[in-house]
Amino acid sequence: MVDERALEEELYSVGERLAAAMPTPSRNPFKLADEKAMELASQDGELKAALFRFVDVVPACRSLDDLARHLTGFLGEVEAPTPPISAAMRMGNNRAGRTALGAAAARGVKHMAHRFIVGESPREALGVFKDLWKDGVASSVDLLGEATVTQAEAQRYAERCDEALETLVTAMAGWPERPGLERDRFGSLPRANLSVKVTAITPLMRADAPERGQRDAAERLRGLLRRAHELGAHLHIDMESLDSRDAVLELILALLAEEEFRTGPSAGVVLQAYLRDSPQTLDTIVEWIGAAGAGRTTPLTVRLVKGAYWDHEVVEAAQHGWKPPVFEVKAESDINFEQLTQRLVDHRADGCGLRPAIASHNLRSVAHAIAYNRLAGGDDADIELQILRGLGDALQEAVAAQGLRVRAYCPVGDLVAGMAYLVRRLLENTSNDSFLNDQASGVPLEQLLAPPATA
Amino acid sequence: MKDFANEPILELRRAPIRAQLAGALEAHDARPAVRVPVWIGDERREGSDLVSTDPGTPDRVVAEAAAAIPDEVEAALALAAGRGVSTWSATKPERRAEILVAAAAWLRERRLEIAALEVREAAKPWPEADGDVCEAIDFLEYYARGALALAAGASLLQVPGERNELHYVPRGVVAVISPWNFPVAIPLGMVAAGLATGNAVLLKPAEQTPGCAALLVQALRESGVPPEALALLPGEGDVGAALVKDPRVHTIAFTGSNQVGLEIVRTAAEVPDGQRHLKRVVAEMGGKNAVLVDSDADLDEVVPGLVASAFIFAGQKCSAASRVLCHEAIHDGLVERLAGAVETLRVGQAERLDTDVPPVIEQEAQERVARYAEEAQRSGRIAAQAHDVPGAGWFATPTLAADLPEDSPVLTEEIFGPLLAVERVRDMADACDRLDASPFALTAGLYARNPDTVDYVVDRAPVGNLYVNRAITGAMVARQPFGGNRLSGTGTKAGGPGYLLQFVEPRVVTENTMRHGLVV
Repeated sequence: MVDERALEEELYSVGERLAAAMPTPSRNPFKLADEKAMELASQDGELKAALFRFVDVVPACRSLDDLARHLTGFLGEVEAPTPPISAAMRMGNNRAGRTALGAAAARGVKHMAHRFIVGESPREALGVFKDLWKDGVASSVDLLGEATVTQAEAQRYAERCDEALETLVTAMAGWPERPGLERDRFGSLPRANLSVKVTAITPLMRADAPERGQRDAAERLRGLLRRAHELGAHLHIDMESLDSRDAVLELILALLAEEEFRTGPSAGVVLQAYLRDSPQTLDTIVEWIGAAGAGRTTPLTVRLVKGAYWDHEVVEAAQHGWKPPVFEVKAESDINFEQLTQRLVDHRADGCGLRPAIASHNLRSVAHAIAYNRLAGGDDADIELQILRGLGDALQEAVAAQGLRVRAYCPVGDLVAGMAYLVRRLLENTSNDSFLNDQASGVPLEQLLAPPATA
Repeated sequence: MKDFANEPILELRRAPIRAQLAGALEAHDARPAVRVPVWIGDERREGSDLVSTDPGTPDRVVAEAAAAIPDEVEAALALAAGRGVSTWSATKPERRAEILVAAAAWLRERRLEIAALEVREAAKPWPEADGDVCEAIDFLEYYARGALALAAGASLLQVPGERNELHYVPRGVVAVISPWNFPVAIPLGMVAAGLATGNAVLLKPAEQTPGCAALLVQALRESGVPPEALALLPGEGDVGAALVKDPRVHTIAFTGSNQVGLEIVRTAAEVPDGQRHLKRVVAEMGGKNAVLVDSDADLDEVVPGLVASAFIFAGQKCSAASRVLCHEAIHDGLVERLAGAVETLRVGQAERLDTDVPPVIEQEAQERVARYAEEAQRSGRIAAQAHDVPGAGWFATPTLAADLPEDSPVLTEEIFGPLLAVERVRDMADACDRLDASPFALTAGLYARNPDTVDYVVDRAPVGNLYVNRAITGAMVARQPFGGNRLSGTGTKAGGPGYLLQFVEPRVVTENTMRHGLVV
């Protein structure tokens, strides 16, 4: 049992050191413009809606003129236009103005996208991964894709994953050793790490009838597991909305328990702390590592996230008259996140073993995980911290500077495929309820590190 | 009464909820076929004139019904026009509303049982069957509240010395003629509207789904609707025709085909000797529903939206999509992705949750869909069809057609089955021109992201229900009041604020309140 006071004290001192190690914005002059734009958007709901709808439609526009017409169309819905908006609207009045406006807007969106999306393909992004590695940051690659609605698309996506594994493993083999990123209490950790969404490798996943989609995805997933095993890469199964949660977890746990995969590959699942029933999901996982998965020779990685589909879940539940499956008060999610963190650490020695990967850009949540792990007798190397590319870069730098094990979740893909992802990240970044917003608006450290309180 | 809220559909994404369904179906199958009576007052006469069978397994009998004979139609009319109208119209609106709400509770308690019956009798897949029961509950709850509001009358301008009042009274006898595709919700919605406003109601349900009709009449009767105020008259077209013609009928509420709807409008316009009123027709008829897709649409959303709109319940919804008017810049890309999606569709029994497309209602429908598919093949191109369509049962092959000539019947006639045709348009103005050329105007969809385009199409689309950036089926009571314009219907909106006005007559009373200079 870890003493709560001791935990808060350790947490505070970890948090303080991380905060001190964060680069100040002035050291990152190029990021300022982005953050200014997001700040403006967070202050004006209508402008935010207009800008995000524009970002979303950019890849579907056929010309600069078309781009400008969309932009003025969205901005035209802002009720109290500020001078820059009025200026943009005036530019939209003639063809030459629209071409210039379209070009400027396209540049802006591309710049913003590059903050979150590291390259068009894994090969193109290798330089970024290598730089991260040099800076003490490992990576997990997420291949952005359009929705999978046909078998051909599912097949193509699986092939992209296959190629990505090969590309990453080949390139990363030549990198210098980084013991802090490559070993934990269980042994070595693969350098190449790929995150895969099950709905991308089957067009048949239906919330009401998961079995058919599971069967279809199983074939392609087995292929990827086999490949990851051969190559010595880590395969992580991402989570999306609740519609597929049970199907995805059930599927991957069943496959990993198959004899063929007893000795590998290293693999992982995701636990979403914003879901009210996530403690029961963790029960399922804990039971599995002690029973069906107990014979595996590799531990199961569990990435704990807050969850990225909050608005979707709330709206879907409201439209159907269901109780929202997510916590509606952010502090309840944060409290649950900490409780799940503790349980992940507590159960790591069960059965085949469990590797906790704490994915958050919230300073308190990260400091809590580090502190709890230490007080529970763990070595810093026994816990992985994961941070989304573009959302917690400063924290990532601070964590790496402290010699802690950190991995950046890096989406890779073209603009068309990346927009849905980008809009989700932008929403998160400009949410008035978010840690990033508190941090940016200069909330004092004591408050940032205070225990989550449900008012 | 609490504010209206839609009945929540089953959360079938959760395994424990799904697990209840098999038991409900087993219980259904263990019961003998439903005996559907001609049910007039307290008289019930059973028979086997009409037999409904499971469209997926045509030798499975679901219900056996007596068909009303002319003497019974006469008796039902006499009772409704006499005691039915006098007792029910004299019942306080509050009491009538209570009874409807009690009927909603009756259905709620038997949700799975009723849905199971729909799975068998109409081959409605579970989520659709459950949705139908929920919609039926919604109609009862919504019209109960609406009738209470109506009973309060409407406010008028008042000046000194006079008192002006507007109140509504029941019209008299309502004949309801209902379809099989929403076998509980649609008949119950029309019946409930008539009853809520104090009319006596005669229900002539579709011959394909008498079992569902019997159940809803039972729900209302057991909840307190007096026997003389609601009769069930199963039968074929002749029963409906007799009701429509009869001078004792005041209002005809019909949902069904265009051909029958137009015939009803014609007949109801006649004023035979002795009839002292004009009949009113509330008709929801066919459509030829199109979805417009602009060049900036997100195909990730469009493809699943179109598949849902065109193929869920085998396209047998009045609101289902049968045309796609796609911007030429993305036409080929859309057809390719849509074709791939259609090929993944699983055709199977309605009871299976992994069925995407169930059988169509009857052999005639199966043949009709096949005829249009042949026509598409002949004059255009079949871009994709689903595989492994079962042989036994009235299964129709989900089909995607493209490159058809503009005047092809595949593009202009209602097919009412799982066939979707994509057309290439220059822009949304061209798409609107084509939409405007159709005599039908029920639903339409638009996928576009430029707000100016959305405004343009909203302005030009003549349809009763336009859905922007979403599937075009699944109208919800109180949220999407439903009904078509032009030859698709009388413009009345089921589940909407004005619907009950079709079932009442307004009366205005103006009283002089001044006498010898004294205002009383």
